[in-house]
Amino acid sequence: MREPRRIMKAAYPNKIYIDKEVFSSPLTKRILKNCPDVPAEVIRHERELDEWLTSSADPIGKGKKYLWLRRQKGAFIKPCPCTPAYIGCNYFIINAALNCPLDCSYCILQLYLTNSLITIYVNLQDLWKELDDFLQKKRGKFIRLGTGELSDSLALDHLTETSKEFMSCFRGKNKAFFELKTKTTNVAGVLASSPAENIVISWSLTSEKIAGEEEGGAPPVIERIEAARMVSEKGFSVGFHFDPLIFYPGWEEGYSQVIEKLLRAVKPSRIRWISLGSLRFPPALKPIIEKRFPQTKIIYGEMIRGRDGKLRYFKPLRLELYQKIVGLINYWGRGQIPLYFCMEDIEVWRKALKKTPKRKEEVELILSPRVG
Amino acid sequence: MRYETLPLAKINLKDERFRTSYHPDLDRLILSVKKVGLLSPPLVCQGDKGFTLVSGWKRVLACREIGLSSINVLMTKEKDDLNLFLAAFHENLATREITLVEKAEIMRKLLGFGVGKKTLLRSYLSLLALPVTAAHLEALLGLSKAEAAVKDFVREKDLPLPIVQSLLRFTGVEQRLLLPLLRPLGQNKQREILEDLREIGRRDDVSLQEILNDKEIRQALDSPKLSPIQKAEKIRLSLKRMRYPRLSSCEEAFDFALRKIRWPKEIAIRPSPYFEDEDISVSFRFKNEKEFKACAKKLQEMAEKEDFSRLFRR
Repeated sequence: MREPRRIMKAAYPNKIYIDKEVFSSPLTKRILKNCPDVPAEVIRHERELDEWLTSSADPIGKGKKYLWLRRQKGAFIKPCPCTPAYIGCNYFIINAALNCPLDCSYCILQLYLTNSLITIYVNLQDLWKELDDFLQKKRGKFIRLGTGELSDSLALDHLTETSKEFMSCFRGKNKAFFELKTKTTNVAGVLASSPAENIVISWSLTSEKIAGEEEGGAPPVIERIEAARMVSEKGFSVGFHFDPLIFYPGWEEGYSQVIEKLLRAVKPSRIRWISLGSLRFPPALKPIIEKRFPQTKIIYGEMIRGRDGKLRYFKPLRLELYQKIVGLINYWGRGQIPLYFCMEDIEVWRKALKKTPKRKEEVELILSPRVG
Repeated sequence: MRYETLPLAKINLKDERFRTSYHPDLDRLILSVKKVGLLSPPLVCQGDKGFTLVSGWKRVLACREIGLSSINVLMTKEKDDLNLFLAAFHENLATREITLVEKAEIMRKLLGFGVGKKTLLRSYLSLLALPVTAAHLEALLGLSKAEAAVKDFVREKDLPLPIVQSLLRFTGVEQRLLLPLLRPLGQNKQREILEDLREIGRRDDVSLQEILNDKEIRQALDSPKLSPIQKAEKIRLSLKRMRYPRLSSCEEAFDFALRKIRWPKEIAIRPSPYFEDEDISVSFRFKNEKEFKACAKKLQEMAEKEDFSRLFRR
């Protein structure tokens, strides 16, 4: 069995900045131990970092080369915000980190980050306590949570080793499905752990062309699929997210190849879910993408303003895209794989999946484990 | 500083280092000087070739226009160019509206007098009521380097900075091609044309010239029958079809279906914006039961037509 390569060198930061409050936290110490050659500096006022970053021509790109260890002052767990006027999926996000070393052209964080450093919230004791309380409140209900919304769940796992702790925390809590979502092949920590039915390791997938041109620093899709195969053969459930699906000349062939390779490599019965979403972003992100990725053409697709004000493909085009992808997944997956849409409306659900969930709770039902 | 009376001919108007006004409208000022004289003396300094005007360009030009031979001035001993320019800048800032082209010139001159970009960003953009971002500063500096025809267009149309930024993304030659197209249109349509042209170019790797050589666009441009506004409008629609082919064809199919079933003009019908919802809305006005029933009858007649279902096709 071929060992998947670890992600790029850049996943070791140029420098680690540490908020003075968390200098002695166990996770800070662990990260420093895992980065023996990386310089570290204790920071007294976050303002110092802001000024240093904003003086750069590309603060977003620069921030991805540095780690910032600090305390999460707010709540770690939040409902996934989804988007107004489209159907959500009742997902909860765990904000244990913010930003990641990958540099995807379409990443929405480019618009929202005020501090663009890769931030790791190291007060894990507070997180475990909050998780306990949260799971107590939701006891008896099927819920889905994950750490991959505002960061990549595994891109820095060789530094933080937190995947093992998360998996330990959720092991045995069978109604809480915990998802580690990644674009990387950084799965050593996962492979060293025991699987559990309610732990889902998932990958964001796209065509090789889009991965190569738009997902800076991420490994080729074929390597992600290989990592998924190894993880699923270890006994973990796996998930996949074809999001964002992107139109480009040759998209049908590109996605078709990836889906065939994926479903030849990974048994459909091990796949807990596959989500689909098409490229969408707030209009204010467009000039940022144009400036940071002058070669990209993905923002010049036939996009209109959706009900939520975000730019998204004109609906007949979205339907064409989804119907093709759903057909391919159902063909190669023999119709066994639960599918859902991220931020789509009832018409798309009905026409592409032949399902009509009216609320996010009904989406959750589609994804809940089959009994028996 | 002291007051002096100076022959107008001794003021060197070729030295425009401290000038902040761009193509000012002098009519009202000329009338004012004619009626009540020059009440506020311009600021002048001793230069190598006569006297250099620091502040009060409009006043001096108005006096020259009227034919005055000498005027009262305020003479300064200041020798530092930046300080002299700042005197002109602050006086203008306090006494009049500064146009976008003038703001651009001010930024260029401050940069030339040794003020760094960081200082321009931190200290001057907000004074000029502009957002404090590097992109805005770069756009202003870009405008200051634009050809006179572009600057005149920006001034004449009182264009906001986002449209200027869109225009400046094209080369100088392309900007010249675009001005006659944009001139007859309002700002929303100007913005739309500029955005579509640029994005089609980026998407298809084609130049502006190649896009404008499209058959439909060429026909509109060359047509002797069309007025400038008709040409601009036809080109705007052609560009929209090139940029959004599927959306345009859906819109055209919807309009065609309405024509086919002879939809009554007095009943408004609208699909949801960009057909994002399946809903279609109709609205009509009525004053009494009779009018209401007439509209309801027409709607019923529409629904019974064979081609009514075309309205729901995407």
